[in-house]
Amino acid sequence: MRVVHYLNQFFAGIGGEEAAGAPPEVRDGAQGPGRLLQQLLGPEAQVTRTLVCGDNYAAENLEQLTAWALDRVREAEADLFVAGPCFEAGRYGVATGALCAAVQQQLGIPAVTGMAEENPGVDLYRKDLYIIDSGTNVTAMREAVSRMASLALRLLAGEEVGPPSEAGYHPRGLIRDAFVEETAAQRLVRMVYAKATGAKYESELRGAVFPKVPAPPPVIDLSRAKVAIVTDGGVVPKGNPDRIQGNAAQNWGAYSIAGIDDLRAEDYEITHGGYDKRYVEEDPDRMVPVDVMRELERQGVVGKVHDQFISTSGLANPIANSRRLGREIAKKLKEDGVDAVILVSA
Amino acid sequence: MRLTLFVHPITDLRLGGETRIEGTALTVGEEELRGALLQDSRLESVAFEVVRAGEHARIGGVFDVIEPRAKQPGDGYDFPGAISPMALAGRGTTHVLRGMTVAVLGEPSGSVIEMSGPWAEWCPFSALHHLVVIPNPRPELPRHMALNARKQAGLRAAAYLARASLGLPPADTEMYESDGPSQPRVEGVPRVAYIAQVHSRQFVAEVDEQILYGHNTTGMVPVVLHPNEWLDGAVLAPNAGLNVLTYHYQNHPILTELYRWQNEGKVALVGTIATMAGGDNFDRDLNCTLAAELTKWALDADAAILTKTGGGAPHADMGYTAKLLEDMGVKTAVMVGPPNLSPERTVESSTLFNYPEVDAIVFNSGGAYFELPAAKVERVVAPSPEAAEALFNLEKLAASRVTGVTSQQGAQRLRALVY
Amino acid sequence: MAQITSVMPVAKMVGANRVIQGNGIVSPVGAPDLPPEEEKKLRERILRQALEALQREADANA
Repeated sequence: MRVVHYLNQFFAGIGGEEAAGAPPEVRDGAQGPGRLLQQLLGPEAQVTRTLVCGDNYAAENLEQLTAWALDRVREAEADLFVAGPCFEAGRYGVATGALCAAVQQQLGIPAVTGMAEENPGVDLYRKDLYIIDSGTNVTAMREAVSRMASLALRLLAGEEVGPPSEAGYHPRGLIRDAFVEETAAQRLVRMVYAKATGAKYESELRGAVFPKVPAPPPVIDLSRAKVAIVTDGGVVPKGNPDRIQGNAAQNWGAYSIAGIDDLRAEDYEITHGGYDKRYVEEDPDRMVPVDVMRELERQGVVGKVHDQFISTSGLANPIANSRRLGREIAKKLKEDGVDAVILVSA
Repeated sequence: MRLTLFVHPITDLRLGGETRIEGTALTVGEEELRGALLQDSRLESVAFEVVRAGEHARIGGVFDVIEPRAKQPGDGYDFPGAISPMALAGRGTTHVLRGMTVAVLGEPSGSVIEMSGPWAEWCPFSALHHLVVIPNPRPELPRHMALNARKQAGLRAAAYLARASLGLPPADTEMYESDGPSQPRVEGVPRVAYIAQVHSRQFVAEVDEQILYGHNTTGMVPVVLHPNEWLDGAVLAPNAGLNVLTYHYQNHPILTELYRWQNEGKVALVGTIATMAGGDNFDRDLNCTLAAELTKWALDADAAILTKTGGGAPHADMGYTAKLLEDMGVKTAVMVGPPNLSPERTVESSTLFNYPEVDAIVFNSGGAYFELPAAKVERVVAPSPEAAEALFNLEKLAASRVTGVTSQQGAQRLRALVY
Repeated sequence: MAQITSVMPVAKMVGANRVIQGNGIVSPVGAPDLPPEEEKKLRERILRQALEALQREADANA
């Protein structure tokens, strides 16, 4: 069994954050946790190649990296692709998810990885991949790799994988039907009794997990801060030049308000289809409050109003997609030197 | 308040001249029953069919399923407020013909009782005998009147049949007794309430739709009911069905299970709330808040089980009510499903509410996207020959179409697993 | 970031910190029923609330 393993700069031993720009390279044989992986996969398995890439390079060049990795996996005639485990590392998780999904889809071989629940890669790829729950603690490496190996072996043997709680992967959110002996009534009474008496119970459905969003520290001096307006209410320039969809928008736009004190109805339109838009159409400042923000800028309450506002549509937007949009917008605003954001939502 | 059921098992069912029970065999006096039902001048005619457990048969166009039950004279009225004068239900003695139902048919789009084949094992009605009642309302009647006439025909037939057992010794006796919220709290024995939606205002109830003691629930806010009232004919399935059957109010899976646990000393069933899913945000907020506060302050419950009727919006109401209860310190368990909301059958589309405290969820599956092969049948009983024809050679049937498979009353054994 | 929205439960559910109540889904920082002068004052009030939230610790907002 030939295995190709993907690692980031840290787990491959190149370095920490300072080495995150490392370009992709191929190494022979197993590296770092790959040795453990090889061992746990059994005597038949060999990690013939390890692909290594820095997290920043991966994040900024994901398309090229994916193409490159697919070629390497093809060349190696791999039977199995394993990436990570990534634990909490977000850039690593997102890159890993993309690579695994591509390998699975385009090469048709099993791909397995491991991440913590909070890793954005889980949210983005849980439906497409088996992602072992590694937890956040890197000291649990052995446990994580062990589960990854077991899962991989099952996939290779074409065996049933089993439910998430058994095999240790993040629930993929796919619904399967099962006839059971107990009626729903019996299960309800049992469950409420357990909950009422403080005993353990297992819900048949876990709500989507929304991990805590760490709150940034307060703005120290607003009068010197650059503040940007962001909206998910779908206010866009007339003609919707970036073709932002009203429903499940895939993209966002940045629109200049340089020298503008007040948004005029004739210059804008609403792409979000989920609310009665006529009031915002009449006066877009009702969603994107440029007029008042300029006032406050003039008064010195805020240091500067960013000369662009960002817009997308929040309607029926899947959570994973919204997270991606949010991350991209945050990245752009950080690059623009923005200190704080006012997000106005429909 | 105590309800005593005198249970008369029925193992054989046939049409005949005179209505009588001999041993465990019920003969239905066809002409007599017809005469009784046609006293409702809204009906042009009424047909009867007997379908026995185990037959290779299918019953289509099912409007409601009702267990034959009759009150011991003096202990109240049959289906009070609906076909009888108003009287408090749930006390004294009620005679039950167990092992059979009255299946009343309506429009051809109604559900299907599969008596054989792959669905039979999971359809609660395949193991029972059925007197199928096919009322034919006058064609010129407005739809709501026709529906009411059908419902009443079914209820009258059910009461009529059970009356044949009055005076006969029961083979079995069941007792349901609860002292309600005034019973003292016992350490280690959680006080449990059951909150059920009986209608959803996504559908406007007809003026003569009979749901709660004959009332159509329009304009109502939630009310407290004794558990026995549900079991004894106070609550009926709505016209739209909404995966609710009168049979499963009479034999309520959740209430009977709670009573079982109470008899074992594990819980105290302190009461129930009947509520309605809201028609708009204001209605929702009002009903959810009142249902929660009645549960906490009128019933003094420690825990509550919640169910809904219908689909998406009622699901949100149920979730919100549960959240309000959790905020008040009442532990909740809710029943959701089926995951009909999108064909991709993913969890995200099933969760229209997400409150971390509402974390005890029973997840029903089924719905329109889960199918099994339909049985090869020798006979179809349906509201019309055309309907019967259409139902004869079916390839498969979705869970949503088979009577009792998708149950918002807890009878369901088709679960959703999240992988 | 401070968020102005009229559907607070959703914002809270997904973990947004610093959430300010908007003036209705169709007009979060507007009030079409008010005369323009009053409307602008309301817009300013809401925005000032949001700006204040930015200057405080996140848990200061319920």
